[in-house]
Amino acid sequence: MPADPPVVEDRGLQDLVPRIIAEVLVVPAEQVQPGSRLIAELGAESIDFLDLVFRIEEALGKRIPITRWQRYLERRFGNGDLSEVITTEVVRQFAEEEAA
Amino acid sequence: MTDRVAISGAGVVAPIGVGFEAFGEALRAGRSGVRGITAFDCTGFDTRIAAEVDAASFDGASWVEPRKLVKLMSRAALFAVAAAAMARRHAGLNPGDVDPERVGVSLGAGGMGPTDLDLLATQAQAFTESGHVAGNGHWNIPAFAQAFRRLTNPLATLRGLPNLAAAQVAIQQDARGPNNTLTTNCTAGSQAIGEGLRMIQRGDADLVFAGGTDAMVNPVGVIGFSLLGTLSKRNDEPRRASRPFDRDRDGFVIGEGAGIVILERESVARARGARVLAELAGYGVTCDAYRITDERPDASGASRAIRLCLRDAGVSPEDVGYVNAHGTGTTMNDVIETRAIKEGFGPHAAQLAISSTKSMVGHMLAAAGAVELIASLAGLTGEFFPPTINLDAPDPACDLDYVPQTARPARFDAAVSNSFGFGGQNACLLIRRW
Repeated sequence: MPADPPVVEDRGLQDLVPRIIAEVLVVPAEQVQPGSRLIAELGAESIDFLDLVFRIEEALGKRIPITRWQRYLERRFGNGDLSEVITTEVVRQFAEEEAA
Repeated sequence: MTDRVAISGAGVVAPIGVGFEAFGEALRAGRSGVRGITAFDCTGFDTRIAAEVDAASFDGASWVEPRKLVKLMSRAALFAVAAAAMARRHAGLNPGDVDPERVGVSLGAGGMGPTDLDLLATQAQAFTESGHVAGNGHWNIPAFAQAFRRLTNPLATLRGLPNLAAAQVAIQQDARGPNNTLTTNCTAGSQAIGEGLRMIQRGDADLVFAGGTDAMVNPVGVIGFSLLGTLSKRNDEPRRASRPFDRDRDGFVIGEGAGIVILERESVARARGARVLAELAGYGVTCDAYRITDERPDASGASRAIRLCLRDAGVSPEDVGYVNAHGTGTTMNDVIETRAIKEGFGPHAAQLAISSTKSMVGHMLAAAGAVELIASLAGLTGEFFPPTINLDAPDPACDLDYVPQTARPARFDAAVSNSFGFGGQNACLLIRRW
């Protein structure tokens, strides 16, 4: 089956990723700034990242197994405490890599 | 002398009212919650009526904090979470009143998430995209799986696990003690409250959120029970469709919602100065071990549950003034239940006021027993017998006092609530004036 065509341009990720984060975490859009920490500040728990990656996958029209997100985090942060480091910007950069 | 167990609060999400007061007033008024199904297009269904929880009277998400947890909840879980929050408020229970490690949850629940409408839609879309069948005439599962995987939010599975409604209640209420889910279908709500009583009696908890929840007004639920031949087809007269004990009854009407009571150890209730609504004094539970949907013709399983319940409470039949019947409105139940009440209460059966509040709220399945105990509680505290509406002419085999048509003012000291389920599980609860 052919993949769905991408519904967003790469440049759109600037707007799209914060919007998805606000939807997934049910927080007001203005709370989702580039430096906002998803776990420490916005209340994300582990399963929220499944939802987040699923919605990025839908938006990009491209399959993204959750293991890709996990490897991305390992590559960037090793085994450190993720609650302080996963920000909106980190998610956007991941989405950009996937879109490329 | 062991502590008694108090009921100090009740929360209810029912087709005729949300919250204990609104629900009680609707019972007193004899209001029907049955109407044509609005949740989905049921054109062509044999049964096109149900007792739905009205979206206008119930804002489920408003009871959830943080809001993002709503997406993890089946409709049934959302009902339970809301009912638990209402019960807590009704009980005047504040954080710090009871050690969270001594707070339990005991919940009756049934089939969940996969039957919620949006999840059914995803399955249907994946099925369509898979091309229905492979060349050999069989379902093309690999193609379905590919489409299903792409369309399904990973969190959907979590809505389908029946234990997660009780988990969500625990998260919302910071209940860190025992957390049990009973899936005995029509008996589950009663059994969950009975087992909640036991949790406190055996010392595992001091306070328990106990009740049941269900949400089967969906295509799978309606078609499923319809195929079993158990549903009323009185589509043209929805409000008159649920008519337990009436000679023209033709099956039950599916209802949805939740009921949760706060059960509390007497010493704990006293220490925090709780207003007690009633004592939960007895619980009797048996199984017919006979047939899946047929009840034992001599009603011995059900009548034994009644007798065990009376004995557990240490009361004689004459002490009981009101029985909230299982009263589904199926041909078999109402006749066998009448027999069970006669066997269980002996000659006092003729003096009892008995009613089926399913005539108003439909059969709320795993929530039924809990909502019906709350109906009994509303009657006990509000001093009335809830009616069996639509009882125009009783079946000659149903010859007791079923409080036909309208509520009756009455002061009584004890009530028994019956639940008898598919599978032959029988559970009875007894409440009495504190």
